[in-house]
Amino acid sequence: MSAKYSMIENGAETNKIKKFFQKDFSQLIIFMIPMIFIAIFLLYPMAITLVRAFWAPAEYTFKFTGWSLEGFRTFFGTKLYLKALINSIIVSLSVTIFCILIGVPMGYCVARVKIPGKKLLVSLGILPIIMPSFVGAYTWVILLGNNGIVRVAINWLLKPFGVTIPSIYGMFGMILCMTLTYYPFVFQMAYGAFSGANALLEESASLMGAGRTRIMRTITLPLIIPSLGASALLVFVRAIGNFGIPAVIGGNNYVLPTLIKFAYSGAGDINLASSIAVINVIITGLVLYLQKYIVSRHEYETISATHTEIKQHTSFGARLFAIILCLIVLIFSLLPQVTIIVMSFFKRWTGLLPTGFTWENYANIFKKSSHELFNSFFLSITATLMCAVFGSILAYITERKRPKGAALLDLSIMAPFILPGTVVSIALLSAFGGNGIFKLTGTYAILIISYMIRRTPYVYRSVAANLTQLNPSLEEASTISGATWFYTFRRVSVPLIMPAIISGSVMTLTTLLQELSTTILLYGAKTRTVPIQIFNAVNENNLGRASALSTVLLIVVFAIIYTMNTRKGTDLSSSMKM
Amino acid sequence: MSKTVRYENVNKIFGLGTKNEVHALKDVTFTINEGELFCLLGPSGCGKTTLLRNTAGLDTITSGKMYYGDVDISTIPPYKRNIGMVFQSYALYPHMSIFENVAYGLRVRKVPNDIVKKKVTEVMELVGLQEELKRNPSPTALSGGQQQRVAIARALVYDPDVLLLDEPLANLDAKLRRYMRAEIRRIQKATNITTIFVTHDQEEAMAVGDRLAVLRKGLVEQIGTSDELYNQPRNAFVANFIGKMNFFNAHVVSKDAEETVAEIDSTGIRVAIKPERQHVDAKVGDQVLIGGRPEYLSVTTQASDKAVPGKVRIIQHLGSFIRYEVEVNGNISPVTFEIDMDSLQKDIHEGDTINVTFDQSRVALFSPEGREI
Repeated sequence: MSAKYSMIENGAETNKIKKFFQKDFSQLIIFMIPMIFIAIFLLYPMAITLVRAFWAPAEYTFKFTGWSLEGFRTFFGTKLYLKALINSIIVSLSVTIFCILIGVPMGYCVARVKIPGKKLLVSLGILPIIMPSFVGAYTWVILLGNNGIVRVAINWLLKPFGVTIPSIYGMFGMILCMTLTYYPFVFQMAYGAFSGANALLEESASLMGAGRTRIMRTITLPLIIPSLGASALLVFVRAIGNFGIPAVIGGNNYVLPTLIKFAYSGAGDINLASSIAVINVIITGLVLYLQKYIVSRHEYETISATHTEIKQHTSFGARLFAIILCLIVLIFSLLPQVTIIVMSFFKRWTGLLPTGFTWENYANIFKKSSHELFNSFFLSITATLMCAVFGSILAYITERKRPKGAALLDLSIMAPFILPGTVVSIALLSAFGGNGIFKLTGTYAILIISYMIRRTPYVYRSVAANLTQLNPSLEEASTISGATWFYTFRRVSVPLIMPAIISGSVMTLTTLLQELSTTILLYGAKTRTVPIQIFNAVNENNLGRASALSTVLLIVVFAIIYTMNTRKGTDLSSSMKM
Repeated sequence: MSKTVRYENVNKIFGLGTKNEVHALKDVTFTINEGELFCLLGPSGCGKTTLLRNTAGLDTITSGKMYYGDVDISTIPPYKRNIGMVFQSYALYPHMSIFENVAYGLRVRKVPNDIVKKKVTEVMELVGLQEELKRNPSPTALSGGQQQRVAIARALVYDPDVLLLDEPLANLDAKLRRYMRAEIRRIQKATNITTIFVTHDQEEAMAVGDRLAVLRKGLVEQIGTSDELYNQPRNAFVANFIGKMNFFNAHVVSKDAEETVAEIDSTGIRVAIKPERQHVDAKVGDQVLIGGRPEYLSVTTQASDKAVPGKVRIIQHLGSFIRYEVEVNGNISPVTFEIDMDSLQKDIHEGDTINVTFDQSRVALFSPEGREI
């Protein structure tokens, strides 16, 4: 079609125009740094891990041991390993299903039934994810362990019926703990989707003669499938990557993360750990693909400009049901937090009530944990600041510049989001564990790098979501006014995406303060963090110290989230989305 | 300093070399005069916004040249072009007060504080927002019309060479839109900055612009004043886009230097048309269109051999005139006629079969090519 017009053959002209854009160096440099970081600390380690998975078993060495399929042979030929794989799949799938069964009805009740204290319910509903999950697991030992008070009490009640509930150790305990820890993801998203839905859609269906259940089945539920799918995936990847809960109450039941730790720390075989990591990645990848496949057939554009208030159920029955449901879920999921705070003031808790009131647990923190506290805050804050910078820039690149291969960049950034922490650790160890030039084990650097790799997606997603809603003409207006790219970025883009940067950073900071699954493989004598100390205290049965430290973490994390929630325009949920 | 804007063979191709290649601007060549208020008009997808964005430098043209005055700006980045632009969404910065919004371009230019204050005050007086400036709220606290004024002030404050307006009135309600278009013309004449105004609304373009360019599918169809475009449209598309034109299917039966005679299909009615109203070079036997504005046509109950029979579909009272929508035989014209009468015809009702006559001295001859918008 173009032959008719005077141009096109004039290639020199086109090149000149292209050259001018290549001259924009400030952009190029700022954009290159995060890219290089990703290449060195994510893509390269993942590649090395994949290679190592096909190396012969190593005994406390990072050197080349020869090509072999021994790792996979061990995995698929040993009962313990295969069992761990099956356990992982059973636990993660059950947790995902239970989270949906709890989170969706609860989200619906809070969004669509007229009940008091909705804001409080939503805030309380996020608490379970801000507590270190293995601490939650340990409190369930107090409550539901072999002699746990709740178990004894319930079994006494159930005795006439001839049933008993099992001890917390094992599959039941893992599924229970993870469900109560992760249901908030589904609850928060379901709440958002149900309350943010366009009321006109349901009203028009109603005007056309559809009944309540029909509207629910044909309009309401189909429209929340995308956010439901996203939160279900989030729960699944968290559950399959969780190290703390299986480590504390798994008993003899290994799952993939604990198996990786066993292979690396116990057997000293980085190559076997790499093989397991590869299998873990494949499973997660399959689930991700399945989720995308299901959700892709249910993605809709919203076609409406105006939103009206959604009608709420006001009948007594509905309100009673909603209140009871929310209370039961909240009580069960917050029981660990309460238990831990109570426990922190006592010496022992073996019978019905704790005994030996004391301040000693807190006094000990200053004596024995000051270095760990410093480490935790230093590492988390440093990593958070760098995540904020990198995440924002990367989001800006993919959203605004749409370079060639933006999809690939997006995938590289988001990959660690679905990778289990132990897998990321193994990858970093594979790449930087043994070589002379780049030996990073036991340093602050490797922890900060692993934190950045794993948490940059929070800020990235949060900012990207914000940018899609931000009219590009705001930035264009600045350019027209005579501002260079950097001036525009500084004075217009950054101030406008600040709320998203803050909410992404808060998510990053609060989760890093309690990070265990990555740290457990990477920490050294000097870089021990508070969660590691809690984990060790739990394993040594030093419940008082574990509780006091957990309480401190809990208060710090809660204070950060509370401060942020009082700020306008910040929204945690956007950083949780895929 | 106001400058001319000149386009020389400007082409823009999106997705060059890919399957989805879109030729959005085709050999655009024309000049906008110094201090002129120039409208780019056309249906959506015609390339008017593309031309504006390329003029601003927000996009780069694929080939050709653009000049501000004598300077070739084709490859100059937008922030060095010294232009002002008002966006359809206004693009006001929600994190700054209206003073800082307007001052933005001066801050970029590192203008001293006292001059910034003076210039912002001046320009806010020009756009009629001196009272709002005293309270200095966030732009989100202003009404749509006021936000529009802030956006104009922000674009004018640093004395740009060229002012670009991208559908600036699209977000306002009908009444305010009519008021603001007069305001824009007043402000433009007061500053005398060369201005390009993009719109899809022909009434707005005719009311505001000194001159207009009508674009279609990346091509400039015609450039001229409102009067020229309305009374001497070059082709059927322009005729039907600038106002309404009714078309009769016809064929040429004779032609000489004095006049061309065309016969309306399946009627035998012959119309003689003078050369100045022939917008097609048709030979005897060629298919053509005879076009007449709604006001050149009449509905009547009287029979006549110079009339076309039709059926009244809808009668609309539009204040100063009455519009009759009349359906005629598909051979005569496939589309419904719009006929404007000065007064209501008492003996004609919806559904009546009537006759359509027309002022033979005012109709024009067009090519049947590309009539649709």
